[in-house]
Amino acid sequence: MVKLNVNGIDCHYGSTKVLSDISLEVKPGDFVGILGPNGSGKTTLLKSISRVLKPHGGSIFIDRDDIYSLKPIEVAKNMAVVPQDSSVGFDFSVMDVVLMGRNPHLGKFQMETKKDVEIARKAMELTNTWGFADRSIHELSGGERQRVIIARALAQEPKILLLDEPMSHLDIINQLEIMDLVKSLCVKSGLAVIAVIHDLNMAARYCNSALLLKAGKVFAIGKIDKVLTSENIRSVFAVDAIVRKNLVTNSLFIIPLSPKKYSPDKKCSIHMICGAGTGTMLMKTLVDEGYTVTAGVLNLLDSDFEACELLKIPAVTEAPFSPITDKTCDANLEMIKNASMLVITAVPFGSGNLRNLETAKEALDFGIPTYIIDEVPIEDRDFTGGKATDLMAELKAKGAIFVKYPSDLPSILNISKDKLCVLSEKPLTLSGHLKKEYESDKSSS
Amino acid sequence: MKDNIEAAYSKRSKRWKLIFLMLIVIMFVTVIVALNIGYAPISFSEILSILGKQIPGLNEFIVPTAFSQTNEAIIMQIRLPRILSGVIIGAGLATSGVLYQGVFRNPMADPYVLGVSAGASVGAGFAILFGSGLSVLGFPIVPTTAFIAALITVFVVYNISKVGSRVPEMTLLLSGIAITIFLAAIFQIMQVLAPNTKLHSLVFWSIGGIANATWSDWWSVFPFIIVGIILSYFFSRDLNMIALGEDTAQHLGVNTETTKKILLTLGSMMTAAAVSISGLIGFVGLMIPHITRLIIGPDHRILLPASIIVGAIFLVVCDAIARIVTGASELPVGVITALAGGPFFIFLLRKRKLSYRM
Repeated sequence: MVKLNVNGIDCHYGSTKVLSDISLEVKPGDFVGILGPNGSGKTTLLKSISRVLKPHGGSIFIDRDDIYSLKPIEVAKNMAVVPQDSSVGFDFSVMDVVLMGRNPHLGKFQMETKKDVEIARKAMELTNTWGFADRSIHELSGGERQRVIIARALAQEPKILLLDEPMSHLDIINQLEIMDLVKSLCVKSGLAVIAVIHDLNMAARYCNSALLLKAGKVFAIGKIDKVLTSENIRSVFAVDAIVRKNLVTNSLFIIPLSPKKYSPDKKCSIHMICGAGTGTMLMKTLVDEGYTVTAGVLNLLDSDFEACELLKIPAVTEAPFSPITDKTCDANLEMIKNASMLVITAVPFGSGNLRNLETAKEALDFGIPTYIIDEVPIEDRDFTGGKATDLMAELKAKGAIFVKYPSDLPSILNISKDKLCVLSEKPLTLSGHLKKEYESDKSSS
Repeated sequence: MKDNIEAAYSKRSKRWKLIFLMLIVIMFVTVIVALNIGYAPISFSEILSILGKQIPGLNEFIVPTAFSQTNEAIIMQIRLPRILSGVIIGAGLATSGVLYQGVFRNPMADPYVLGVSAGASVGAGFAILFGSGLSVLGFPIVPTTAFIAALITVFVVYNISKVGSRVPEMTLLLSGIAITIFLAAIFQIMQVLAPNTKLHSLVFWSIGGIANATWSDWWSVFPFIIVGIILSYFFSRDLNMIALGEDTAQHLGVNTETTKKILLTLGSMMTAAAVSISGLIGFVGLMIPHITRLIIGPDHRILLPASIIVGAIFLVVCDAIARIVTGASELPVGVITALAGGPFFIFLLRKRKLSYRM
């Protein structure tokens, strides 16, 4: 069993600095993910560790030996690499290629022995490639070839395995099989794995620690759940993402949201009555369009509430699984009055959230333009014995506008927003924390 | 059925030895047959007696009257040096072909296509023009300058055509052509400027032939090529690794940079040695490794030794054809290899265009 130590390495191509001061320690059984956006230096780091690209500063040790003072063959006895590009120059058979993994263990003129053939066979059975051992490497599909290259790396019987984008050519079942295989070698025989992985969910699922690179520097390093936080993902990848614990696989899972669009601030606020995830998409769209969005009343733990947190949308909330109280109802009405429009999504109504519709009625009375999305007819989502249906009818009578699909809403809103701003000369009145936020937005922009 | 694979791989070494032995036998037969071909009719029994006489211990059994002295002179002083030159040049060119194709990871590479042969001939031309008969550190000057020029050429072509860590066909062939044309122009300038006394030897270079090869010619190249072949064989498994890519070879324990430099140097040395007695003989280094690879596979541990022998056989056969087709006025062997190699090259290019894999 060997330990790998990367001590503060620097790499540059010409005058461009690609890596600076990267340190990493890998012990037997570790599965380290190297994460980061394109061009952050992941592959360069892997090349340095694999003794192909000598760093300009710092050092890399396998146990007590600096790898750049060792011969390639000494390094190859301990370390195998699965590269991104696996083109093969001549028409070698699959078996030939896998047997080449035995090279570091053979003498200069020694032929592969029966034992070597046996090891190659085992590696091929593990990677599902034994079935085409006698085919030419050129006849294989990209995924099959990838598995052959992994078999070759395993035939090397390494103690450290470096993978550069190991799954780029694999379909989902082969991705899982290969990663499960590598993981089990990690757990059972103490193989240390360092893998460049683009898919954050795969990284979350298989790595126990990670190194997050940003522009050639370590942005975060440590246990995978400390590295893969939505803050880190936003800072490094400039993408908002929801990070949750997957209850089935007990690993983190990451849901990236589309990158933020930078629309001009519409200086117009919309309140949403939603819940159970019916508003999440629309909230994101409206925020992207440049509206200030508020929401309520939402129960804590409701998925729309989680979306609010993520998108930093102020919301009036109620305790989990609790009906709306007078206090929150009033707070909600106050928030609606500060908005220039109200949107009600096709959320199911039960006794818990029926009061939101009553609040909407008051808002209409107050003169707030109201849009109701009825993708699903109210009759199908009314769990109040008809009360919600009646209230809907009243809202319609008071002038609420019905919209069939949420996707139609932004264009309708854009038109009515222009009208609104022409009609009402007076600036929107904001109060409380909303006002503060609005003003800080204004000063920052 | 898959168990057969394991059995086949454990018997591989034996099979390779068998193939190599068979090729050696074929080579000997070819040499004997080639000794028979020529203007003066000399029977096989005479040939065998003449050859047997040269071998100490065997000569007691040979009846001296079985052949005439003229025939002995023809065989020993004219045909044998010529044919053995064919053997060693064919072997050298085929080996450098294997090395270039392996290092460049490209089956279109060859000393002639890459311009290395042209480089060697310019180097040799310089030596002929300005100082034939001199020697550098005990080495005859013609092969030495040919070697230096060949070495410079191969590194220039390699660095021009390298894109990232790969050597694509396109840049390889184009830079080879450009360098060849450039060097050919220099060679023509040399011919124009050459005094009449030296013009003949220069013209001889550009044609490519072994018709006038002597024993001293043979001895001047034999050590270079035999050393080149033996040293190359040390790297035959490394060449397999390099076929998987330079970085991968390194990951599998090959010191890629050093190995590449050694092999390109050896290839250039063998090319230069061959060129220094035969002039430009094209396409041997291209065709032989390719055909051999088709028959016995790409593993350099057998590809290299087999190509050496096949190359030797091929050049001896081409030379024999050159002697047969035109009777007394002989064609240079370079013409025959070019006639065979040109179409083969085009066929290869066409085939690779259809199934582009690099």
